[in-house]
Amino acid sequence: MEWFESVWRHIDAAFIEKDRWRIYLNGLGVTMQVAIFAAVLGIVIGTLIAFMKLSARDNGKPTVLSRIANIYIDIIRGTPSVLQLLIMWFVVLKSCHNGILVASITFGINSGAYVAEIVRAGILAVDKGQTEAGRSLGLNQVQTMRYIVLPQAFKNILPPLGNEFIVLIKETAIVGYVSLSDLTRVSNQMTSTLFDAFTPLIGAALIYFVIIKILTILLGMLERRLRRSDNH
Amino acid sequence: MIIIKELHKKFGGNHVLRGVNYHIHPGEKIVVVGPSGSGKSTFLRCLNLLERPTGGEIWFDGQNITAPKADINEIRRHMGMVFQHFNLFNNLTILQNITLAPVKLKLMGEEEAKESAMKLLQRVGLSEKADAYPASLSGGQKQRIAIVRSLAMNPKVMLFDEPTSALDPEMVGEVLEVMKELAESGMTMVVVTHEMGFAREVGTKVVFMDEGNIMEENDPREFFNNPKCPRLQEFLSKVL
Ligand SMILES: Nc1ncnc2c1ncn2[C@@H]1O[C@H](COP(=O)(O)OP(=O)(O)OP(=O)(O)O)[C@@H](O)[C@H]1O
Ligand SMILES: [Mg+2]
Repeated sequence: MEWFESVWRHIDAAFIEKDRWRIYLNGLGVTMQVAIFAAVLGIVIGTLIAFMKLSARDNGKPTVLSRIANIYIDIIRGTPSVLQLLIMWFVVLKSCHNGILVASITFGINSGAYVAEIVRAGILAVDKGQTEAGRSLGLNQVQTMRYIVLPQAFKNILPPLGNEFIVLIKETAIVGYVSLSDLTRVSNQMTSTLFDAFTPLIGAALIYFVIIKILTILLGMLERRLRRSDNH
Repeated sequence: MIIIKELHKKFGGNHVLRGVNYHIHPGEKIVVVGPSGSGKSTFLRCLNLLERPTGGEIWFDGQNITAPKADINEIRRHMGMVFQHFNLFNNLTILQNITLAPVKLKLMGEEEAKESAMKLLQRVGLSEKADAYPASLSGGQKQRIAIVRSLAMNPKVMLFDEPTSALDPEMVGEVLEVMKELAESGMTMVVVTHEMGFAREVGTKVVFMDEGNIMEENDPREFFNNPKCPRLQEFLSKVL
């Protein structure tokens, strides 16, 4: 009974007293803002990079565009995202003092490299015969892409894209490095306010977990629906 | 109608077509046979430039289609192609499969294209499948749709690459039947196939391809009863 009361006291202090739950909620807001902006930017950049990379496909020889795309992907994958964030904040976008913007751009650029691979794989997974049939009817490359390949690729792309978004939510936990008060940072600060590390940190972890669990379930439902519509 | 001059195709170091020469006249039904890997598919795919020849020329209706400035998309409208694996568009209904190209290429309005598609479907006995998706069809049905999809473009010539090889035996007949009717309607056809019965019955010329070249060509009767080159005799003894 005593133990139970002490646990309750900690929870009360960490979340309810002085309306502290608002602080976590604001932190979660920052986390989600960065994740959503970054995801949108990542999809735009990733799609662009994917097509740049695919420009090499027909003859097998690399093009200028595909080379640029490869270098981009290499750099992003070959460096820690914390460093990418710090470089953007302190060097490249030094004059921009909007942390959310800088973080969103950084994660967007970062995510773009991964999205590019997702989009590219999704397009390449569409049977080559589909393209050949389209072209043999006299449709040009753009028409064949638009009416035949992309609608089919979309089904391949959507599930891993959802996955990438989930990864992104967790990845943003480092934005504290550029003084953004996201969920991770506020819970970390709370530990020194309360002289209690356990409750705020576990609490924050639970919030991440629940959100990601919900998204994973939704994604699973989406995937099952896409698969069903495959065999009409 | 189609004139092929010294056609060469290399894939890297693999010299697949080695100087093919041939004339295809309007209304002819050319059946191409030969061992696996001899270059039959490559030959056919060069005709509508799905493969780019690495040497030689192809003339179609008086136009050099292998010239760099030739408009490939425009030329392909006049050449239908039917594939071994059907290649129906999985994301579209049967009706949409047929109307997509004529509508998007602005050859017909939506309504006109639908009407003509329904007529074609009726011709192959599949009008009740208009709103179905390809995944729900049998192989034989898919291939009949694929033929109809090409016909919707009113092509001048139809190319078939082993149209019945991926089918269960009981479905081969229905597809060959459609092809026979098409032949009777006067369509110019080039057919790569292992169906020797079809070659005999429908072909106006049978062509034997081996090692990247046409080794023998004759009318079906002579071709099968009186083969001259030893490679063909050997081939026929295996397949007949
Ligand atoms: N896209 C390609 N890239 C590289 N090599 C190819 C390609 N297409 C065909 N080849 C090669 O060209 C040769 C001839 O192939 P092709 O498909 O034309 O033969 P085929 O006579 O149609 O055989 P089959 O009866 O098995 O269909 C083969 O050695 C094949 O490996
Ligand atoms: Mg072949």
